[in-house]
Amino acid sequence: MSLQVSSLGHVFRWCAVLIALNTSLTASDSVSAETATIKVPAPDFVLPVIANGKGALAMDDLEGSVVYLDFWASWCGPCRLSLPALDTIYQELKDQGLIVAAITVDAVEEDALDFLQRYPVSYPIAFDSSGDVPSAFAVNGMPSGYLIDRSGNVRALHVGFKRGDEVALRDEIIAMLEE
Amino acid sequence: MRQAVAVAVTKHRLDSAVLQKLPTDSPVVASLGAAIASLPTYQKAFADAPPAFTEVGLRYSHYTEDSLDKDLLVFGDRDRYDIDVTQLWIEAPVGGAWSVAFDVQNDSMSGASPWFVGTNLDGEPGVIMSGASIQDNRVEVGVTTRYFWADGNAGFNVTHSDEDDYEALAFSFDAAWNSDDNSRTWSASASTSDDSVAPVKEAIPVFIDQEELDTQSLYFGVSQVLTSTSIVRVGLSYTISDGYLTDPYKLADQRPSEHERVTLNTGYRQYFVEAGGALKMDYRFYNDDWGTDSHTLEVAWQQSLGRHSLTPYLRYYSQSQADFFSVIADTSTDFYADDYRLSSYGAITAGLRGTVMIGDWEVEGQLERYDSDNSFSLYGGDAAPGLVDFWRATVGVTLRFD
Amino acid sequence: MRLLRWVAMVTLLSSTVGCSNIEAVPAWERGYLAEPGMQWELSRREAKFAGHVYTSKEASSGGSGAAGGGCGCN
Repeated sequence: MSLQVSSLGHVFRWCAVLIALNTSLTASDSVSAETATIKVPAPDFVLPVIANGKGALAMDDLEGSVVYLDFWASWCGPCRLSLPALDTIYQELKDQGLIVAAITVDAVEEDALDFLQRYPVSYPIAFDSSGDVPSAFAVNGMPSGYLIDRSGNVRALHVGFKRGDEVALRDEIIAMLEE
Repeated sequence: MRQAVAVAVTKHRLDSAVLQKLPTDSPVVASLGAAIASLPTYQKAFADAPPAFTEVGLRYSHYTEDSLDKDLLVFGDRDRYDIDVTQLWIEAPVGGAWSVAFDVQNDSMSGASPWFVGTNLDGEPGVIMSGASIQDNRVEVGVTTRYFWADGNAGFNVTHSDEDDYEALAFSFDAAWNSDDNSRTWSASASTSDDSVAPVKEAIPVFIDQEELDTQSLYFGVSQVLTSTSIVRVGLSYTISDGYLTDPYKLADQRPSEHERVTLNTGYRQYFVEAGGALKMDYRFYNDDWGTDSHTLEVAWQQSLGRHSLTPYLRYYSQSQADFFSVIADTSTDFYADDYRLSSYGAITAGLRGTVMIGDWEVEGQLERYDSDNSFSLYGGDAAPGLVDFWRATVGVTLRFD
Repeated sequence: MRLLRWVAMVTLLSSTVGCSNIEAVPAWERGYLAEPGMQWELSRREAKFAGHVYTSKEASSGGSGAAGGGCGCN
C-alpha cells in the first residue's frame, strides 16, 4: 500500500487547523470554571408540583436551605444521567439540609411523568411549560442546575451533564452546606 | 388543584447575556460587574453530548437486483446480483467526555454483471453478461473514537475493508462546534482512503494484476435552528481520486486516472406539532470533471407513534452522462465506457421504514424499491441497456443499556 | 480546479451564515427539535448502508460527510 504523500499533506494540514481550533475552543471554556465568590439573588417563582410532593414549589419556601434547582426535560439526553445522579446526592445529603428540586420544561406533563417512571427520583418535580421560570433563570442548556445558598443567592451554575460531573458537584454542595 | 397555582415570576430575573457569556474577559460581562462574571459554570450545554448509554445493534439487509429484461440481453445469464449485508456495532461512552464505536459489516454478493454492450440481431444495443456467477465477500471493520467538549465534538475513524479483489484503508477526522447560543453548528471533516484493486481472474478476462487508488475528501457544513420546529443545513464537499478508476471487469472500459467531485447539499426539517410528525427534505447537487452532473431530492415524513415511528420516503435522482460514455463503447478514443452507471438516467426510490420500541430494545424494519430509467432523466442522453432496478429489505435490533 | 472553487464556496457560505443573525430558540423550547424525526439521518447505520448502495449503483457520491472505504461495487 502506498500512501500519496503530497495529497495526504493537504488533509493533515486541514486536520491540524481543526485540532488547533478545537483546542483553543476547549481552552477558553475551561477558564470559566473557577472559584465562586459572588451572590446573585435567585428569581422568585411559584410552580405546581407534579411528582414527589403536593401543592406548589416556591422559591420563598426554600430560603434557609442549600438548594440545588435543576431544569430538565424528558427529551434531554444527558438528563437521563443527571436526574438519577442528583437523587444519589440528595439521598446522601438531605439530612444535612440539602434540598433538591427540579423543574421540567416539557410542553406536555405526561411526557415528564413517563420519563420519571423510567428514571424515578425522590425529590419534588415542578412543571412549567410556559417558559417563564427558565427564562427568569436564563437557562441556556438542558439540564441547567443552580446551586443556591441559604440566603437565596445563586452561587453556581451547572449546564449540561456528563458522567463524573456528580463528583465535583457533590464537593461543591458539601462546601456550601458547611458554610 | 395544580391549575390553581399560578405560574409566577416575581422579584427579578437573571441576566441571560451574563450567564451565556461567562468567560471573565468578555467586555459585556465586565460592564455588568465582576461579581456576576465569576459565577462558576462547570460546563456549557452539550449540543452533542456523549451517548448516555451503551448501544449494541445488529442489522440485516438483503437486496435483489431485477433480472435483465430479455430484450436487452444479447448473451449470458439474465440474473443479476443478490446481496446480503450484515451490520454489527457497539457504541459506548468512555469516561465523561469520550465515546468509542466499533462497526463490523459483511457484504455477501453473488450473481452476474454486465460485461459489455454490443448489438443484438436486430442491431439494437444489448448487454453481454459476465459468464458464470461471481461470488464475493466483503468485510469492513471500523473504529471511531469521539471526544466531546462543552461546545462540540471531534471524531477520528479508521476503517478497513477487505474483499477478494479489493482492499481499502480509510482514515477520517471530523469536528462539529456550536455557536454560543447553541443555534448554529459548524462541521468539517477530512478523510483519506488508500485502495488497492487486484481483480479475480476467473469468469471473465481481466488485463491488470494490481492497481492503486487514492482518494481525499473534505467537507464543510453549517446547520441553523430556525424556529422551535425547524432546522436547516447546507454543506459542501470536495473529493479527489487519483489512480486506477477503470472497472477491470468490463471489456471496454478506460477511464481517466483522476476524478474530482464537488457536491452542494442542503437539508430541511420541519416538525408538525398537531400531526406529531416531521417533514424531512434533502437536496444534493453533484458535479464532476468527467462531465457528470446530478440532482438528488429526498422527501420523507417521519410519523411518531408514541415511542414508535413510521416513515414513508421518496427519493428522486437524475444524472447526466460522462463525457466518455457511449451506449456501445468507442474504443478509438483515449477514454471510453459503456457502464450504465456513467449514462444519463433517472431513478426513483420509494420506501417505508418502521421502528418499534420494546423496553430498551428498538426493532426496525424497512422495505424499498429502486427503479431507474433513461426516460426519468432530466438530461436526456442515450439509454444504456444495463440499468439496474432492485428491491431492498432490512430488519434490525438495537439494545441500549447502562 | 474544483478545489479552489470549493474553497471559494466554503468562504462564501461561512461568511454569509456567520454574519446572518437569527433569533435563538431558548433551551427550554427545543423539545420538538429533539424529536427523532428532526434528526438529519434516519439512523447512522441506515445512512451508512444507503450511502454505500447508492455510491455503488450511481455515478455520484459525497455530501454526507467523510469518504468511506471499500468498493463492493459490482
